[in-house]
Amino acid sequence: MNNNALKDLLYKMADDALIIGHRNSEWTGIGPMLEEDLAFSSMAQDKIGHAQALYQILHEILGEPEPDQVAFLREEKFFKCCQFVELPIGEYDFSLIRQFLFDHAEAIRYEMLAGSSFQPLAQLAKKIKGEIKYHTMHADTFLKQLANGNDESHARMQSALNYAMPYALGIFEKGELENELISQEVFAGEDALKAKWLEKVTSIVESAGLKMPVVADNKIIYGGRKGFHSEYLKPLLDEMCEVVRTDPEAEW
Amino acid sequence: MKNTLPHWHNLPFLEDLKISIMNSLDPRVKRLHLKSGETEPVHTNTHLVTWEVFHQDKRGKQHVHVGVVHASSPEMALIMAKEAFGRRGKTANLWVVKTSDVFTFQSEDEDMFETTPEKTFRDPAFYKVRDRIEKFQKQQLQ
Amino acid sequence: MYGNTNITEEEAKRMNSVEEDPIKLAAFEERIARGEKIEPGDWMPKEYRKQLIRMIEQHAHSEIVGALPEGTWITRAPNFRRKLALIAKVQDEIGHGQLLYSAAETLGKTREQMLEDLLNGKSKYSNIFNYPAETWADVAVIGFLVDGAAIVNQVINSKGSYGPYCRALERICYEESFHLKQGHDNVVYLATGTKRQRAMLQDAINRWYRPLLHFFGPPDRTSQHSEKLMKWKVKLASNDDMRNQFLDQYVPKIWELGITFPDPNLKKNDENIWEFSDPDWEEFKRVINGDGPCNAERLAVRKYAEEAGRWVRNALMSKNEKYVTPLA
Repeated sequence: MNNNALKDLLYKMADDALIIGHRNSEWTGIGPMLEEDLAFSSMAQDKIGHAQALYQILHEILGEPEPDQVAFLREEKFFKCCQFVELPIGEYDFSLIRQFLFDHAEAIRYEMLAGSSFQPLAQLAKKIKGEIKYHTMHADTFLKQLANGNDESHARMQSALNYAMPYALGIFEKGELENELISQEVFAGEDALKAKWLEKVTSIVESAGLKMPVVADNKIIYGGRKGFHSEYLKPLLDEMCEVVRTDPEAEW
Repeated sequence: MKNTLPHWHNLPFLEDLKISIMNSLDPRVKRLHLKSGETEPVHTNTHLVTWEVFHQDKRGKQHVHVGVVHASSPEMALIMAKEAFGRRGKTANLWVVKTSDVFTFQSEDEDMFETTPEKTFRDPAFYKVRDRIEKFQKQQLQ
Repeated sequence: MYGNTNITEEEAKRMNSVEEDPIKLAAFEERIARGEKIEPGDWMPKEYRKQLIRMIEQHAHSEIVGALPEGTWITRAPNFRRKLALIAKVQDEIGHGQLLYSAAETLGKTREQMLEDLLNGKSKYSNIFNYPAETWADVAVIGFLVDGAAIVNQVINSKGSYGPYCRALERICYEESFHLKQGHDNVVYLATGTKRQRAMLQDAINRWYRPLLHFFGPPDRTSQHSEKLMKWKVKLASNDDMRNQFLDQYVPKIWELGITFPDPNLKKNDENIWEFSDPDWEEFKRVINGDGPCNAERLAVRKYAEEAGRWVRNALMSKNEKYVTPLA
């Protein structure tokens, strides 16, 4: 098993989960209605929990530092998250669409990993399947309701979808060791994932009465997987690590 | 209709109007760019109906009423109920029923239930035959 | 102070003069005296309904506004354990708000009307949340001591007369036990940590001490009393009693860490009553009437949430559905 290929995959999955979880936790207390505030907050906690579990595998099996260190003491250029998850929360339409697009990709990715030759990932995939199911159920329900609510909500959903799609497609940016992962049967690859994702998302979007945006290849926002991030990641990390940095020796 | 571009695109106009931005210790509040000073009164008129939630903690147990959620469809009510009432401890399943579909007796009719505990003929504890058996057995021996 | 039963002189006079059906009133009061709960469908005096709505509503507002000072630090929590615990804790505050608004709703006031009154300044929330969470240590202090104070209040009120409120409070008390534990855990790590952490904690305690004393409301001797509210089991303990209980439970837990309170007069006397320096009740009045460090910000953030979320609720609202008061 190629450890570098595994590390690459695990880091990008963990970083995605950490950053999107962090972003979604920003809604806690200011959501559009109380019950939805609760739901979004739970999903943020789930994602952060997934990140911790993935960093834990990196630590225990692949010799990387402890989760707290990896998350809170790493520099921006070493992060492997896609730029999509770094974007600010914006208004609720954007955050919901981001949740919808990202969570379906994550759901399919974990489905594909349930049969992985790398046991720890296969086990994790089976364990968190239920949590992810709730996330996609939530996203689908809200997408449908808001797309069919009134003119304003329909327009907002479509506009947010149009804005998000070039970023969302960046989720599937291939790492350098992609072929190793495929040949070792760890993971069937980003292309396979993207194809399934496109099929799934298109059917839900269209049944909700929205149009799937068409994005030219040269408009897709890549770079995150190779350490090239949006202007938003560094301020996010500075904020996330602010307390830790005041006293790096301290136990919190 | 409000501008549907992402929120962070709309900031330049604030500088033009020289509206003072609220200073806050909370970085996410800072990012909201709230205006300080007087704001217009708020009118809220967006009612969502309520759904009564029933929670089953384990298979085999009864569903128990735990409260309400506000939602506009059964799917949404279930999704909201999961986090409002199922985010701790065990949950096997949940029911949601629109409040308007639940019917009850009036408080004044509670008197209909008053004499029920007195109807001991329905109560197993009312039936005691030990003494009678013993008396009979004593008689038989005589 | 959470469920505010402090009333003005005018209100006290008015309460004593309202005419209610004497037979129904007697039956109602007998039921309460027997220890039975009042449920939503019951006849109740107008004043009872009004005071309960006000109390439960203010409690609900306190929860959702209370989510804001700690929410300040969610994005900056220094490790996974603290990050997850803090998000969960603040989430609980919103959840408690949800439970309490629902309990108040059973009395006939809609959630939307309550939120509107909050945003327009008509309804109040617990004064303690008008203070800022300046450092990470504030999160620890709020999580341990402010939640501790709230629990004292909630445990007492859970023995009250209104069924839906009591049931909501039981659920809330259970969840609060987690808040207390994680708050105490946080305080202990800071107190037993580096010099900087200890100093941060001591500074936070110094700043939150007076607001904590204010939490239970003005001293009994200056408060307006209502025998009616006590008889109806709406108000169940005096401000001074609750404050004393709080100090008794929590001061020793801070002292055992070698952390001090900024008050040389804080001590337990021979009658087992805690004495302390006058905490400046003028400041309390000023802050609760709008002149605190964060009053404007709290309402502005809640207004933002309401306005930014309006399109969502508008889209979800079903125009043909008729709203009915929830059952219990």
